[in-house]
Amino acid sequence: MVKFDYVEPESLPEACALLQRHGEDAKLIAGGTALLIWLRLNLLTPRVLISLANIPEFDYIRFDSKDGLRIGAGARHRDIELDPAVRAHYPLLHETFKKVAQPRIRNMATLGGNLCQGDPLTDPGASLIALDAAVALSGPSGNRVLPLEQFFIDYYQTDLRAGEILTEIHVPPPVDGSRWSHIKFLPRSQEDFATVGVALTLRLKGERCEDIRLALNSVGPTILRARRAEEILRGQPVSERLIGAMAEAATEEVDPIDDNRGSAEYKREMVKVLVRRAAQAALQTSAPA
Amino acid sequence: MKQTVRLNINEQWYQEEVEPRLLLSFFLREQAGLTGTHVGCVIGECGACTVILDGRLVKSCLLFAVQADGRSILTIEGLAKDGKLHAVQEAFVQQYGLQCGYCTPGMILATYYLLRRNPNPTEEQIREALGGNLCMCTGYVHIIEAVNAAAKELKNRQD
Repeated sequence: MVKFDYVEPESLPEACALLQRHGEDAKLIAGGTALLIWLRLNLLTPRVLISLANIPEFDYIRFDSKDGLRIGAGARHRDIELDPAVRAHYPLLHETFKKVAQPRIRNMATLGGNLCQGDPLTDPGASLIALDAAVALSGPSGNRVLPLEQFFIDYYQTDLRAGEILTEIHVPPPVDGSRWSHIKFLPRSQEDFATVGVALTLRLKGERCEDIRLALNSVGPTILRARRAEEILRGQPVSERLIGAMAEAATEEVDPIDDNRGSAEYKREMVKVLVRRAAQAALQTSAPA
Repeated sequence: MKQTVRLNINEQWYQEEVEPRLLLSFFLREQAGLTGTHVGCVIGECGACTVILDGRLVKSCLLFAVQADGRSILTIEGLAKDGKLHAVQEAFVQQYGLQCGYCTPGMILATYYLLRRNPNPTEEQIREALGGNLCMCTGYVHIIEAVNAAAKELKNRQD
């Protein structure tokens, strides 16, 4: 691991200023669980690590029935998993965060760090996309808000620009009558990354699917939303045939690779199976997402 | 550039000059001399380096010592009091929950952390809580029995 200086700014503007001053030589560190591995492998060689541990008001989790859920980027996976408001109003998130790695990692790793790493193998992004989450970014050109599904660009590449810090994740208020399901297909050990991850939310009006979100992780260069698959069900009366068609369509929107979690062909096949199962499971639930 | 860090480990303060890139696991072993925390994979997979930081179970190989500056850490050495084993340690001994002992400090701290939150875990919950600790020797069965025995013993002491 290269030698670096470790600095601990006490405010967000100070952190941004440090980031600007050091440019490419600096990396932000929050929990550090993923960053440390890259540093050990010398995949990243910063000269300065800027810690976000002392930024005030950075790790909150706030729920308001009209405004929705606001999560500070410094909030740890474990705190989100155990938060009573998340559990009550966003069971999809509670379920997802419970499954991330294992408690030791969740105790340190922050949601902001997870999203900024842009790792397509991770789980929270898919469920957040299925809930229409947006991220707030703060940088030299000011503040901006971006839908999460536009934030992921490629393997380990996000829309985070030079000098920017992700500050908050916002999830809109839960919609009445929304159903959900989450599948983390994990044929290896419990704390591993998913072979295929599926997050699905949908709303019915009578027999008709009024709206739907289908997001997948571990099957492409980014966590992705399968919009074309969604179109098959959106606005239509729900049927086994259409669910099957949607699952089939999803296999065309993913781009998995061969790795030690499975061959691309296997993963594609499992996408078809799991999207269908996710839809069937979602139709069984009746609590709001 | 070296930095001074102060860590409260098992209720004792340790102050050292360290490079920021020094991992907490190495600080514990080499600077503080507490070699009960083991280094297995160094990549955050095996859990042999597990410690408790400010009440949270964490992997000390995935943290820099500077990140723990000013905070309090419980290592395996901090569990026994005046030479008497903690109930969790005792249970591991009685139930043969260890062979070579390499994963054991991590297993014991994970058990301690679990039972503090959930004094009556199901087997499923035990497996999930210890999922981040890998053991090459035992096949895990006796470890689970040790956790159950520890839970029972701690409950008895409560009543």
